[in-house]
Amino acid sequence: MDVGTGNAPPGFGRRLRLSPEEHLRLGRQARLRRELTGWAFLGPMFACFVIFLVVPVLGTVWWSLQSGGLDGGTRFVGLTNFLTLPGTVGALDAITNTLVFAAISVPLILVGALAIALLLAGIERGGSIYRFLIYFPVLVPGVVAALIWLFLTHVDFGLFNNVIRSVGGKPVIWLGADHALTVLAVLDVWRNVGYWALFFVAAIIGLPKELYQAAELDGASAWARLRYLTLPLLRRIVFFAVVVATIWGLQVFDTALVLTSGGPGTATTTVIYRVWLYMFGATNKIGVASAISLVLIVAILLLTLVQIRLLRGRRGAD
Amino acid sequence: MVATALHGAEQHARMRLRRRRLRELARHLALGLIAFVLVAPFYYVLLASLKDGTEIFSYPPKLVPMPPYLGNYRELLWDTGFLRWMFNTLFVATSVTALKVFLDSMAGYALAKIEFTAKRIVFMLMLILLMVPIGALIVPLWSLVSALGLTNTYLALILPPLANPLGAILMRQFILGLPRDLENAARLDGLSEFAIYWHIILPLIKPGLVVLAVIIFTDQFMSFTWPLIATTSDELQVLTVGIAALRAHGGADYGLWSASAVMSLVPIGIFFFVLQRQFLARSLAGALKQ
Repeated sequence: MDVGTGNAPPGFGRRLRLSPEEHLRLGRQARLRRELTGWAFLGPMFACFVIFLVVPVLGTVWWSLQSGGLDGGTRFVGLTNFLTLPGTVGALDAITNTLVFAAISVPLILVGALAIALLLAGIERGGSIYRFLIYFPVLVPGVVAALIWLFLTHVDFGLFNNVIRSVGGKPVIWLGADHALTVLAVLDVWRNVGYWALFFVAAIIGLPKELYQAAELDGASAWARLRYLTLPLLRRIVFFAVVVATIWGLQVFDTALVLTSGGPGTATTTVIYRVWLYMFGATNKIGVASAISLVLIVAILLLTLVQIRLLRGRRGAD
Repeated sequence: MVATALHGAEQHARMRLRRRRLRELARHLALGLIAFVLVAPFYYVLLASLKDGTEIFSYPPKLVPMPPYLGNYRELLWDTGFLRWMFNTLFVATSVTALKVFLDSMAGYALAKIEFTAKRIVFMLMLILLMVPIGALIVPLWSLVSALGLTNTYLALILPPLANPLGAILMRQFILGLPRDLENAARLDGLSEFAIYWHIILPLIKPGLVVLAVIIFTDQFMSFTWPLIATTSDELQVLTVGIAALRAHGGADYGLWSASAVMSLVPIGIFFFVLQRQFLARSLAGALKQ
């Protein structure tokens, strides 16, 4: 008999009188039952979450204070790994490359996605075929996307240079030191623009129609409606997209590995790429690998806090 | 007078209609161009995969290879581990999806409907760690998995992805949106908590489950960093790792690479075509999520 339910049928209370102690006991029992049921449902997923996410995050902190290699023999060295990080081969390069990559790709992705979304939201029919085509690159694994881009950027028979040649231009060495990182960023634009375009379409369609009707009656031009209505209304959602796209951008690895092998030199060696190199390419850099991972994790956690605040704000204010 | 005013209004309306049609046409042109640019790379690679080693390099490139050369595909399917990689990817992705949809929907139910003490703090922890990628955790994960004796097993590929809290958070959101009445009625009828979850909640959130399954499956299909580190044996390579190995070893074989790119897009292309709506909801789930 569940005493806890508030809407007991009439007459129920008269038949069943509980002494205060009994009431307390039953209440405690019901609470214990709730606790146990809660954990029974949450438990399996939570166990995986703790073992394979919480523990590794804490493990990264522990490993970052060690020196040594993968095959054991590590010892505690305190903050040495962090203090020597700027001087460690490749560490600063990796961080710079990753930041430059994100700084190029994120704005291009979001501006492109917004433009596509505005176009998509504006057309009256035929939207689904465009959505299908624009979204398709999103589903391509990074490794495959990089393979495809080998065919676009090849100096001799690549699509880009073929197009340039056909209009009489000079072929470009796309994966040379000057352009490799930019090409990698543009590859990311190709892969992600569709994702965010559809994200923005959903947001634009959800905007209040009355505002637009009012603006049209007042004679606001299409440009004015975009500038003074759509963009301000979307501000928060765009900011959210900036944060999430940046978090994703900081994780770039597979495309760099396959398209350029991190090169030429270290021109496209990113943070996770470097962690991988420290792990398997050196015998004594496991601590440094963890230290640089931790830098990445902290950056992502800070961005996540911004994102959580944004969502809180959206629920509260708008 | 009246007639001319009417005439003017009609003309005005017609002009507005024409302007709207012109604007629609311009939008279609722009979208068509964008879609073309985004899709052209696929065609270019498909083209390359149907040419032999010397034809790939010829300029100007043939835009319709006739007759198509199938040697690249023959080599890919018979002389490399491609089919094995594909099997591994599909097997791991299916296992992860099935397990995760089940575990996440249960966790989501607990987070949405059961009042227990740790709920808030667990949910907060999940939100905070939501975006931490597996790629940033490869050192401790690798040592954990090898300490558990799981290196070079399917379990090493299947278990770590289960930790991602996105699914549980999404499911909580879905279940919170359901009306309370049904579940209260069931409770009064004496249904157990599990029966409520299984017989009442799950059928109601079926669309959400499908979207979640699509998200998990595609993420698994695309995942690379963890499988790369967790496996060293050829038998356990997943598609992405196998293709990266094709690229890294054995010289520049553009024919083989292009064929592998095309073939690896076949399953996801089929899924996408069949489950278009759910796939496109992936983006929308981004708005909901967290």
